[in-house]
Amino acid sequence: MKIPYSWLKEFIDTRLSPVQAQEALTMAGLEVSSCRFLGEGLDSVVTARILEMRPHPNAERLSLCKVTDGSSEYGIVCGANNMKPGDAVALAKIGARLPNGVEIKKAKIRGQASEGMLCSEQELKLAEASAGIMILPGDTAPGKPLAEALGLSDWLLEVEITPNRGDCLSVLGVAREIASITGKKVVLPDVSFPEEGEPIGEWVRIAVSDPDLCPRYTARAISGVTIAPSPDWMRRRLTLCGIRPINNIVDVTNYLLLEVGQPMHAFDLDRLRGARIDVSAPKETLTFTTLDGSERQIDPGTLLIRDAEGPIAVAGVMGGANSEVVDGTTRVVFESAHFSPSSIRRTAKRLGLSSEASYRFERGVDPAGTVYAADRAVSLLSRFAAVSVARGVIDVGGENVKPRTVPFRPERATRIMGRVYAPEACLEIFGRLGFPVADNGTGTWNVTVPTHRFDIEREIDLVEEVARLSGYDVIPTTYPESKAPEFSEDDRFVDVQERAFDFLRGRGFSQAVNFSFVAGRTWERLGAFLGFDPADAVRLMNPISDETTLMRPHLLTGLLSNAADNVRRFVDDVRLYEAGKAFGKSYVEGHFEEPRLGVILCGKRLPGDWSGADAPADFFDMKGVVEPLLLHLCASPVHVVPTRLRPFFEEGKAADILRDGEVVGWFGAIRKELLASFELTGPVFYGEIRLLKATALPPPPGLYAPLPKFPPVFRDVACVFPTRVPVGDVLAMVREVSPEVEEAGVFDIFTGEKIGDGNKSVGIRVKLQSLDRTLTEAEVHSIYSKIVNLLENRFGGKIRTS
Amino acid sequence: MPGTSEQITRLREEGMAAIAAARSESDLLDAKGRFFGKKGAVSGILKGVAALPMEERKAVGERANRARAELESAFDARLAEIREKERHRSEGRERIDVTLPGRGPMPGHRHPVSQTMSDIISVFRRLGFSVQGGPDVEKDYYNFEALNFPPDHPARDMQDTFYVESATGDLVLRTHTSPIQIRTMERMKPPVRIIAPGTVYRSDSDITHSPMFHQVEGLAVDRDITMADLKGLLTEFCRMTFGPGKPLRFRPSYFPFTEPSAEVDIQCVICGGSGCRVCKESGWLEILGAGMVDPSVFGFVGYDPEEYTGFAFGMGVERIAMLRHGISDIRLFFENDIRFLSQF
Repeated sequence: MKIPYSWLKEFIDTRLSPVQAQEALTMAGLEVSSCRFLGEGLDSVVTARILEMRPHPNAERLSLCKVTDGSSEYGIVCGANNMKPGDAVALAKIGARLPNGVEIKKAKIRGQASEGMLCSEQELKLAEASAGIMILPGDTAPGKPLAEALGLSDWLLEVEITPNRGDCLSVLGVAREIASITGKKVVLPDVSFPEEGEPIGEWVRIAVSDPDLCPRYTARAISGVTIAPSPDWMRRRLTLCGIRPINNIVDVTNYLLLEVGQPMHAFDLDRLRGARIDVSAPKETLTFTTLDGSERQIDPGTLLIRDAEGPIAVAGVMGGANSEVVDGTTRVVFESAHFSPSSIRRTAKRLGLSSEASYRFERGVDPAGTVYAADRAVSLLSRFAAVSVARGVIDVGGENVKPRTVPFRPERATRIMGRVYAPEACLEIFGRLGFPVADNGTGTWNVTVPTHRFDIEREIDLVEEVARLSGYDVIPTTYPESKAPEFSEDDRFVDVQERAFDFLRGRGFSQAVNFSFVAGRTWERLGAFLGFDPADAVRLMNPISDETTLMRPHLLTGLLSNAADNVRRFVDDVRLYEAGKAFGKSYVEGHFEEPRLGVILCGKRLPGDWSGADAPADFFDMKGVVEPLLLHLCASPVHVVPTRLRPFFEEGKAADILRDGEVVGWFGAIRKELLASFELTGPVFYGEIRLLKATALPPPPGLYAPLPKFPPVFRDVACVFPTRVPVGDVLAMVREVSPEVEEAGVFDIFTGEKIGDGNKSVGIRVKLQSLDRTLTEAEVHSIYSKIVNLLENRFGGKIRTS
Repeated sequence: MPGTSEQITRLREEGMAAIAAARSESDLLDAKGRFFGKKGAVSGILKGVAALPMEERKAVGERANRARAELESAFDARLAEIREKERHRSEGRERIDVTLPGRGPMPGHRHPVSQTMSDIISVFRRLGFSVQGGPDVEKDYYNFEALNFPPDHPARDMQDTFYVESATGDLVLRTHTSPIQIRTMERMKPPVRIIAPGTVYRSDSDITHSPMFHQVEGLAVDRDITMADLKGLLTEFCRMTFGPGKPLRFRPSYFPFTEPSAEVDIQCVICGGSGCRVCKESGWLEILGAGMVDPSVFGFVGYDPEEYTGFAFGMGVERIAMLRHGISDIRLFFENDIRFLSQF
């Protein structure tokens, strides 16, 4: 909320400068985000009058003006053409430094001396844009500082009010805060005025049918109104605070809203049907046109202000077009009411309509302040307009407004804050706040809280008052007593992730972070290729854009577009990974989310290599990352099997990773259709790991196996298989042939004419080893024969003899 | 036999010359063979000593032996020289350019947000806090209600919320990691000392706000936990994160789930407090929110506020990463431009 400092000073005679007030309020919990002098940069700008004007002899678009500031005359070259002799203008004298940073120097423009500049509103930062120079009101006296002439010799404080401090959404509220900080007293302006009209009850009758939603309804009435603009000073303050001046009646209600925080409404009394007001929440749906001209549907239960025939305002939110003050209005009823915050909030949300009034009612308004606000409005108005005030005030529910009593133990403040708050210190603070204290000697005080501090209901609220008004800087720094920390499942998970990040970093991969929400449009269009089931999608009800409509079912598209973006920026070798959650629906708990690790790779196998090993990366480069990563993380064996269940991979270049029979991840070559839609050309490899599944239940530390004492024997066998035979299976079975087969590995694979189409030649090396003896030639031969037998009969292989 | 002694002198000189002239190990061995090897000339003289008259034997023997010894030592010296030269030569042939890049990838880079988050986590783990996680798609009850944001309360406007389609209509994307406080306290009794890192979501997007960002939240509940303890802990955290000598400022603020609440400012890390664009001329940077756990929150989880007190704090990881690295546009974090990532 914006507050002119001069306005604040009307309520409290503080010695604090605006900047000191900014600091003091901020350190008491009312953050003042800006505090600026309105006349900034206007030091050498004065009002002046144009005496004469003639064209510039050497420039068609310029003119020469002679102006006076009342004591001297100045010759000015001016580029604008919206002025005429006699106009009052803003003259920046030599030496002025304007708010836009321009410094005014004596200059010759096309041969003519210019002794200053006539300013536009834009140059003075009084407007975003302007056409021509600023023309001041005709009666402006020349020679006055412009800041003074425009009422800008003032400071504007911008205060950020937290939702609990609705009481500070006014000049009065902020003045009360300064009083609580400094101990100075707030002074309320005198609101006396003559009451000469008929009794108000003869003009209008008021009933509140729903007192729960409207605990208090106060009204004053006036007659003899002439609708006109309000005085300059009022219009200026409203404008500074961001409210557009309308007319004297509406402006007064808005002025009071800003000044004391009481939202008010003015009804044209002669437009009220049946001269009555009823406050109630109807049970049926209606339509109603608010004063912004929109026809709105009003749901049952919405609190309305009604006359004898129907609604005239949505209570606390916005008035109606049918009862608003118009040019011909002569009699006015001022409403100054108190409405239930949650009811106003529900209504404002439902209508999608937030106003200065609803904003304040939602956050709370002092129920005791309604009569003062109504009186102040009438009193202000009677000072600058000839009006007649009806006698008396209508006040429904006023008798129920009572201050609250809240218990408080000084010892409790000490216990929570870790600093001793002496009873006298607490008393002094409550004194500044204006909270009377009754100490009955039990150690628990009864503190009476005035109605404007509706945020204070519990002892902890009083503790906070004592703490914040003592200042947080007096609280010492201590350390919580140390306890042996837990080591939770999530601690373990954090460690696992760190290990994964370190591993990938060592392999040259950099970490990406993408949004968890993705573009539903893309996923629906590419659904078949992404394995997307729309029925399984977790969708946002109010996405911020088309790009963020659903929670990602897996991590592929984020990394894929990262790869595409980088390639587009001439970074062709992409190695990225991302740790994040994947989301889906589950029929048990409504939805599930699972931590995953995605890895993407494209470009060269060894970027930057100079030794001829700069081949493009392939499937086995990805396998060579994902498989060791899993071994690194889970320390138990994993199996890689071909899969056809991942439609984002090319057929025949896709694998699942199993651990104890469960799929813990998958990897493969991204299928061409997906690459094309992300504008990628080269092959791209991707792997995704289900981190929790992959690392759950790490095996216990294994027992050591004794080292062999006898020499191993190596045997190589070259064998031709049909291409479809999986070498991984062959090796697995070779290892099972006999306990003496310690290792079996591939040392060579090739295809070609020599071995026939549809075949591949595989060179297998086995290491034979016994723990308790040196193997004899006969034993070795027997094992070798079993292996050959397996290769030929189980896998259809043909042993090659060179 | 004066001829013999002259012969020795000559052989010695010739031998010396041959050794000096030798260019390779084989030249040298050749010289050795000719002059003082087993079948060499000097050895031949020594073998013939026995045939000499008695009076000459001693002199000739001594002379020949001395000549052989001198030749042998010249041989050794020359051999060492030749080997040294040979070693130099072959080294030149086999020397490699050690400045060429090594084979295999250079290390990749941690994302600055993830790195900052890890650093924050490890600071608090060292200070005795344990990690707790929770779901991103969260129930309204945990994200708001149990944290003392009643329905229809304007405090809910502090966080622009994404709502998730569901049959029950009560799911949101968590707007902070504070729901983990509630989930943890529901599960365990004090003492509680946890940090809750995670991804959070708010419907807001500009150069300092991202619809998704990261938070680390902390909670300590025990008998006799005080705001002074909170101040001490956060002071220690800032010292470990931003380095020593950076004053902190605690100022009153409001969060529904803590009371009293505080915003914590650190002296501007860019200008050192003199005022700059980053700190909006104030000399201070807001880095986290904190406070004493509100008794109503204890009410929701069944802790007795007369027995236990606690504090909670929370910070935005992107904000801290931006301050650490002087990054002014939050969107850079989510573009995953390798040219950006490789700077960390």
